[in-house]
Amino acid sequence: MESKWRKIWGLIGLLLLNFVNNVSSLSLTITKVDCVYEIVRSEGDIVSGNFVVVDHHIFWSSDHPGIDFSITSPGGGILHNLKGTSGDKFSFKAPRSGLYQFCFHNPLSTPETIAFYIHIGHIPNEHNLAKNEHLDPIIVKIAELREALEAVTTEQKYLKARDAVHRRTNESTKTRVIGYTVGEYILLTIASVLQVVYIRRLFSKSVGYNRI
Amino acid sequence: MPGNAKLRRSVMFQAVLLVVLMLASSNAPVGDAIWLNVPPTGTKCVSEEIQSNVVVLSDYVVVSDDHGHVPTISAKVTSPYGNNLHHKENVTHGQFAFTTQEAGNYLACFWTDSHTRGAGEVSVNIEWKTGIAAKDWESVARKEKIEGVEIELRKLEGAVEAIHENLLYLRDREAEMRTTSENTNARVAWFSIMSLGICIVVSGSQIWYLKCYFQKKKLI
Repeated sequence: MESKWRKIWGLIGLLLLNFVNNVSSLSLTITKVDCVYEIVRSEGDIVSGNFVVVDHHIFWSSDHPGIDFSITSPGGGILHNLKGTSGDKFSFKAPRSGLYQFCFHNPLSTPETIAFYIHIGHIPNEHNLAKNEHLDPIIVKIAELREALEAVTTEQKYLKARDAVHRRTNESTKTRVIGYTVGEYILLTIASVLQVVYIRRLFSKSVGYNRI
Repeated sequence: MPGNAKLRRSVMFQAVLLVVLMLASSNAPVGDAIWLNVPPTGTKCVSEEIQSNVVVLSDYVVVSDDHGHVPTISAKVTSPYGNNLHHKENVTHGQFAFTTQEAGNYLACFWTDSHTRGAGEVSVNIEWKTGIAAKDWESVARKEKIEGVEIELRKLEGAVEAIHENLLYLRDREAEMRTTSENTNARVAWFSIMSLGICIVVSGSQIWYLKCYFQKKKLI
């Protein structure tokens, strides 16, 4: 009985949505395949979101194949399929309500971190209300305004994630410049010292009999 | 059959509850919730980079289809400096709230407990709200005695302020990155010239040393 109530409270928590608010841009580390699920409450809601691959370990070449991304509707059909990306935006109108699946697939074995943000926008319309209830047009306009602001927020989350990736590349470049240059100096000095030592040895052995 | 009737009644009760909720739902801004699959072995972590002085509110509940046995999970939330903000073992639901003291990467990890292992993947419903989404509008409405359209416009105002703050943050980050880029640019130039200089110096000293050496050895 208690578990049933808990499940109902869980459902209440999920379903007490009229104007849906934003979720923060979460990062997930995926090894092979990882999926995130979202419940779309009513058909016709606009689902928008983006994802950016943050942990792009570029070593010698930026030849990483990228991450595969797919969106599956509750009926099992694949709505969106991207192969080999390092980040993208998506937006679609939900054909039906239910549990939508957003899957990331990593072709390589090194774990990658993905920052994603998903927003489900709902604008109340006549369908959702009972017959004798009246929809205030102001509420609809406010909902549309809210959705426009949420679009800006979605874009900001994307920019923030891309900025984080760019920052990592920059700091890696800075470290590489310093590290590799100092290493180059040291190696140069060592090579020339070894050259001198070698020449000394050549000449010290052959003093006397063999003039090189 | 009594079993069938009971099942039908519970399903109907839930359906009625859903319909009632959908009709009577207030415009309370509850955040989106995502579902994650926690693997039977290993941990599933979500993280976010949050600035300091931001309210974080989160709620997680284990979702299971069969009513008899609800698997339990453990959760742990750590701050970027390693402080433990929330730690619970063997629970089916929980929540935590904190105000960030430092800016950085906040990590929330979930794992299944050892005695429920073997049940396969556990679905966890996580609700994660930060900043403006975590604001308690009900108390604001009560305190200032506003309602309806006015509270909705207040929420819009809050959202616009949050957007503005985010923009300022992005601008500051961009300025920092520009400084780093310009530094790196200057360093590349300097280090390349210095590398040429070191090359010349090293080869010059090689030649000079060998000349002294051969003169000493009376070979020249």
